Amino acid sequence: MSYTAAVILNILITMVAVISMFVLMGLTGIFSMGQAAFMCIGAYVVGILSTRFDVPFLPAVILAVLGGMLSAFLVGIPIMKLRVDYVAMITLAFGEAIVAVLNTFSNITGGAMGINRIPRDINLTIGIIIVAFVIYIVLHFKNSKFGRQCIAVKNDPISAASMGINVTRIKMTAFVFAGGLTALSGAMVAYATSYIDPNSFGSTKSIEWISIVFVGGVNSLSGSVVMACLFSMMTEMLRATSALRTMIQCIIILFIINFTPNGLFGEYEFRDIYLWLRNRFAKSGRKEEKK
Amino acid sequence: MSNAILSCRDVSINFGGVKAVQNVTLDIERGSITSIIGPNGAGKTTFFNIVSGVYKPTSGQVIFDGKDITNLKQHEVSRLGMARTFQNIRLFGQLDNVRNVQSALDARADYNIFDAILGLPKKKKVDSENLKTAMECLALVGLEEFAHDRPGSLPYGMQRKLELARALASRPSLLLLDEPAAGLNPVEVEEFIELLRRVKEERELTILLIEHRLKVVTTLSHQVFVLNFGELLTQGTPEEVQSNPRVIEAYMGEDEEE
Repeated sequence: MSYTAAVILNILITMVAVISMFVLMGLTGIFSMGQAAFMCIGAYVVGILSTRFDVPFLPAVILAVLGGMLSAFLVGIPIMKLRVDYVAMITLAFGEAIVAVLNTFSNITGGAMGINRIPRDINLTIGIIIVAFVIYIVLHFKNSKFGRQCIAVKNDPISAASMGINVTRIKMTAFVFAGGLTALSGAMVAYATSYIDPNSFGSTKSIEWISIVFVGGVNSLSGSVVMACLFSMMTEMLRATSALRTMIQCIIILFIINFTPNGLFGEYEFRDIYLWLRNRFAKSGRKEEKK
Repeated sequence: MSNAILSCRDVSINFGGVKAVQNVTLDIERGSITSIIGPNGAGKTTFFNIVSGVYKPTSGQVIFDGKDITNLKQHEVSRLGMARTFQNIRLFGQLDNVRNVQSALDARADYNIFDAILGLPKKKKVDSENLKTAMECLALVGLEEFAHDRPGSLPYGMQRKLELARALASRPSLLLLDEPAAGLNPVEVEEFIELLRRVKEERELTILLIEHRLKVVTTLSHQVFVLNFGELLTQGTPEEVQSNPRVIEAYMGEDEEE
């Protein structure tokens, strides 16, 4: 795989992960500080299945997603009734616990050595197809009763419950859905890099995704996608500046937040912007006709 | 008694040492408009929160439509046909007005996650029907032209109406209104009374409301309950209650104390 292709694939992976964070944080208002743990689970399911059992690409990816959803469900049972700040703490602990577990059980997971020689079964086309599919389903999720209920719960849980919305259940749905998506990004990581180790899935990654969703615009899927793309490209372009990179990135982020406190896209999608532009030009067209 | 849509038996709730509601027993007749009045801190909103499932009573029983709802959660109570509004308006700020109304229908929409994420025809059909119903509810309170604005951009009086429309969307049989006329000017109060009357006839509702404005209480309600310090002080028609010395005492304080 060429360098450019690898970089683009990396951007696509970040996109999937950020989109899963968008479902949690942007739509439902759940802060998951340990979301990278689900990426880790997805990567390890693929790693173990493909190196030890020779499971082909598609079934391995599907099992990885199911694994992510199952673990999200199990983690979700105790925490979905808690307040948002406690959820952030517990998911953070869960994220670190997963890394520790993978480091310890070295006979299955390879410990700190990780798993290598995972077949590079992914290429740009497959990556793009996956991202397109993820955007498609998340957009539909947002524009369905599930997305609207998520936003209602985020805005006012008591009022949402009085409308008949089962708050715990809708939070759980979002958490499991996002867990599946994050695991999918993990599966992509495993196939793209062919080598995985536990320490690359710490809470830093989760926090990076949180900030991307924030800067992109919490209610906007378009914002998350665009910002994920910009952010990963920035990382790549600033590679030459080495140590200064983090600083420069932070400054750019602060600038964006300063001028658009609701994030780059605020609450708008590409579609809204398109409609707004069309309206505007239609109006100015009409004015000219009158003249 | 047999015609009661809501009956409370000895309902009490304590928050630590504070007895917010004590031994309240009352029946709300089907098809009536009933008011609960009382001085500030009398436990009116707490009582509403018990009935609608936000709090569980420390003791006592709440029966709605023949079912014991004492230990049910908010959304379960809502699905049995009870809807409410809030004293401090609680709308969903990030959903537009029609989606706010639709949220009640979304909670009852019959399609699963796969219909939703794949955009299958079943989801589209249910959603467009619900959107239509939501628009009808908005039209009922006269807000259809603001359907695609956000609640934050509406003036206060219209937000009250929007909350009413949202509560009506699920076709409840019992509607709890927590100070629906608070913050409205006299003209808006007139309008709101008219609106409530019309809505009640059209939807065959039973309405239970907390209110401070005497005008609303006297012109609308058939029956009035007076709460004071968490206890039921008295009940009766608006005229009876207004002339009851104990009620005047509760509101104004005793004469001797002057």
